[in-house]
Amino acid sequence: MLGDIASVIVDGALISAVYALIAIGFTMVFGVGGVLNLAHGALIMAGAYTYLSLVSDSILASVTLHPIVAFPLTVVIVGLISYGLYVVLVRTIEENVVITFLATIVVAIAFTELVTLVFHAQPYQYSVVPGVLQVQALGTRILYVELAAFVASWGAMGLLWYYVTKTDSGRSIRATSMSERGAMLTGVDVPGVRARTWLVAGGLAGIAGVFLGGIGAAEPTMWLEPLALAFIIVVVGGIGSIKGSVAAAYIVGYLQTATGQFLGQSVRGIMSLVVLVVVLLVLPQGLYGTEFVHE
Amino acid sequence: MSDREQTGRGIGRLTGRAESVLRDTLLAQGAGVVGAVGRPAERLLWPVAERYNRRLGERFGEVTGLQLLLLVVAFGGLVTAPLWGQDYLRPLTLGAVWAVFAMGWDIQSGYTGYISFGHSALSGAAGYTTGLLVLHLNPELSLFVTVPLSILVTTALGLAIAVPSLRLRGPYFSLVTFVTVLLFYRLTKALSEWTNGLRGIRVDVFTYDLTLQYYMVVVPMLAVAATLTYVGRSDIGTVLIAIRENEDAVSAAGLDPTKFKLWSFVLSAVPMGIGGVLLAHVNAGVDPQTFVIVDNSIQMIAMAVIGGMSSILGPLGGAFLFVGLRDVFLVGLGEELRWLALWLLVLLVLVFARDGLFRLLWRALGALGGDRR
Amino acid sequence: MTLLSVEDLTKQFGGLVAVDDLSFGVESGEILGLIGPNGSGKTTVFNCIMSIYQVTGGTVRFDGTDITDDKTHEIVNRGLSRVSQESNPIGSMTVRENIELFTFPNSIRSFDGGASDKAIASYAAQVDIEDALNDDPGSLPHADVRRLEIAKALATEPDLLLLDEPFAGLNQTEVRRLSEQFESFREQGITMVVVDHNMRGLMDLVDRVVVLHNGQKLASGDPADIVGDERVQDAYLAGEVSAVQ
Repeated sequence: MLGDIASVIVDGALISAVYALIAIGFTMVFGVGGVLNLAHGALIMAGAYTYLSLVSDSILASVTLHPIVAFPLTVVIVGLISYGLYVVLVRTIEENVVITFLATIVVAIAFTELVTLVFHAQPYQYSVVPGVLQVQALGTRILYVELAAFVASWGAMGLLWYYVTKTDSGRSIRATSMSERGAMLTGVDVPGVRARTWLVAGGLAGIAGVFLGGIGAAEPTMWLEPLALAFIIVVVGGIGSIKGSVAAAYIVGYLQTATGQFLGQSVRGIMSLVVLVVVLLVLPQGLYGTEFVHE
Repeated sequence: MSDREQTGRGIGRLTGRAESVLRDTLLAQGAGVVGAVGRPAERLLWPVAERYNRRLGERFGEVTGLQLLLLVVAFGGLVTAPLWGQDYLRPLTLGAVWAVFAMGWDIQSGYTGYISFGHSALSGAAGYTTGLLVLHLNPELSLFVTVPLSILVTTALGLAIAVPSLRLRGPYFSLVTFVTVLLFYRLTKALSEWTNGLRGIRVDVFTYDLTLQYYMVVVPMLAVAATLTYVGRSDIGTVLIAIRENEDAVSAAGLDPTKFKLWSFVLSAVPMGIGGVLLAHVNAGVDPQTFVIVDNSIQMIAMAVIGGMSSILGPLGGAFLFVGLRDVFLVGLGEELRWLALWLLVLLVLVFARDGLFRLLWRALGALGGDRR
Repeated sequence: MTLLSVEDLTKQFGGLVAVDDLSFGVESGEILGLIGPNGSGKTTVFNCIMSIYQVTGGTVRFDGTDITDDKTHEIVNRGLSRVSQESNPIGSMTVRENIELFTFPNSIRSFDGGASDKAIASYAAQVDIEDALNDDPGSLPHADVRRLEIAKALATEPDLLLLDEPFAGLNQTEVRRLSEQFESFREQGITMVVVDHNMRGLMDLVDRVVVLHNGQKLASGDPADIVGDERVQDAYLAGEVSAVQ
């Protein structure tokens, strides 16, 4: 029993860190442009497949990079894909919420077909950091890749925090998400901020993708779960709030881990839906949602 | 004159920049080439259209001569399909089923702007109700029992999704529908003792006579089309569109947006139930891949988008176009490329012709008769 | 008879108190001015009355009934209508259709309800936009868009009309004409509350004034007395010098 609890504590912390990574980019994009990017899951998938292509010799035979090089390169590439998605597609239609909503899901599903075309439907397993850490004292074991994900997640969140609080470029993102009009009046280049937010969100999705693929596998349907999770976490945390997303990621992560441990893996996924419905009924604005002053 | 304008408007809302550019060029050319043929034809047909407008214009919206011609030709084509299209009866039948889905999606999501990604869960609910009934209760169960029960279960599931989520504004509804589909898919696997998992459940076909089967699908499809067109052109449709455009204004008008949103969901769930039952019998079975997966919901959306959201008949046309491309014209491309081409087409329509292809056609035809108003 | 009474109304946004223990009544048949400098909480009061916001504390009574927790559409159907500061007609519908929407019954079984074209034209005529009925709202000049907002509110057949900055952006002639129209609404038995941050246009129109400052009632009474009130002048001097004259 004690071992069970210990493993819930450890596993929950590890998986929640990845969930936070998944959700932050999603919520940031919504915060600055009001766009719910349903292609966010596809960006995560892009992270997994990009990394896979860079490190494995079975995909692109001429390219095999060391993970230390491949990882940052993947993050940059996915960031650029996200940036491109915004500049080429979303920017031309974002004034219409419904059209944007639909276009991003179509992008996601088209991307699935593209991945199937290039990589075929079978799952690819790859290792980011091999090995298992036995924690004798707690009677539990941790995959090194999970540990690495945890460290990378908090590292990324630390950098993000530094970026949005200490640099002008990042502060303008925060200002825009608080009040677009206010930001515009103080001379913030709002379209530029949006594009930059997509870049950053893409990078975060790239990190999440590398680890999700590493923990599970890269496959063409891997975008669905993360998208649903991002959606749920963001609603639980309060739409648009980074702080709320992190908190909610841990709530959902721990709840799932605990349900999986004590009630069985088959009910694990259902738990997040229960949380979602409860939150919608009791606290529709989420943990950190705000009521805005209009005057 | 104003009624004429209303028609054009009832058919077409939401003008986008890119689309207006496209329309301008289209009309400019139309004035030259098509106009030479179109205008005399319009003059010829107008008296007939006028008679239609006096009789039915009030209910279904007024039309110009050429628009009426399009409707008549389309209707005639559908009704006589077994005479000219024996080789294409299968895709035409499927097109009709998907048209029911696309119209069902449209009356709710297209009209109110509350986008559902979960309509495949509704059609799945109907298919599985029928499947479970014949598998576990009685294989000989009459359609008069399974059909109403399936529609009922679909509506109940629809309300279970809608009640907690439609009270709220914003993306919550879309989220809940999205999650519902994923959950439904998982349940079909988790409960595979009952549902046979991915293999699915066998259901008897209506009939092995393809012509008869075609009519058994097209007739309900036309009934759904007529009903939803009527609802869409009525005050209900106006309120639903007003909810999409400005929900505050609807409240300020003394109308309860939640009530109307729920109603639209019921109006949508019933056709989804009908379509789900039809698909189960046409496909001779129900399984997660052909019913439940989220891709199916997105296909319904794609059909509505291609045809023109919030016009009912646009999604109907969009469904036939989409299924035609998917099952006939693009088959040569191979599995993935075909889908890629289809999704690309949908994206292009979203960006450059967000009012939909059939609505563009409809407007172009209307514009040819436009000088009379 | 008191038609609307606001009792101890308080609204907080997080730590910010936008309306602070405010009480006032509106008598049947009068035109009440609700004035105050920018940010004094006027629009918030309207939003609380119409249940756009949930109140933090206090009660709103309309015609003797507690409507504090009613939904917006229920309040409208009781006979209270608000013309908001922003114009938000539905661009894809004509002026006529925009007004007609406000006459639909709140029933999902009503496929062909709503007022007759004649009735709609008469709502439009009360604010001089009867010639624009078939136009798109987007093609109207600013003043007509504002008038459309008022016509929509009239179409709900209100007993009490809340008007939020109805004169904003209008020129002198338009302000005068609109004031006349408000007078004629009153003759039809409509009670009105007019919000403005500027007393100038309001002086001849309103019977009584309530002055808000930082969410609290600063003064109330006859317009002439209010203009001379030093506290009111001080409140305005902090912000806008020319507002009270």
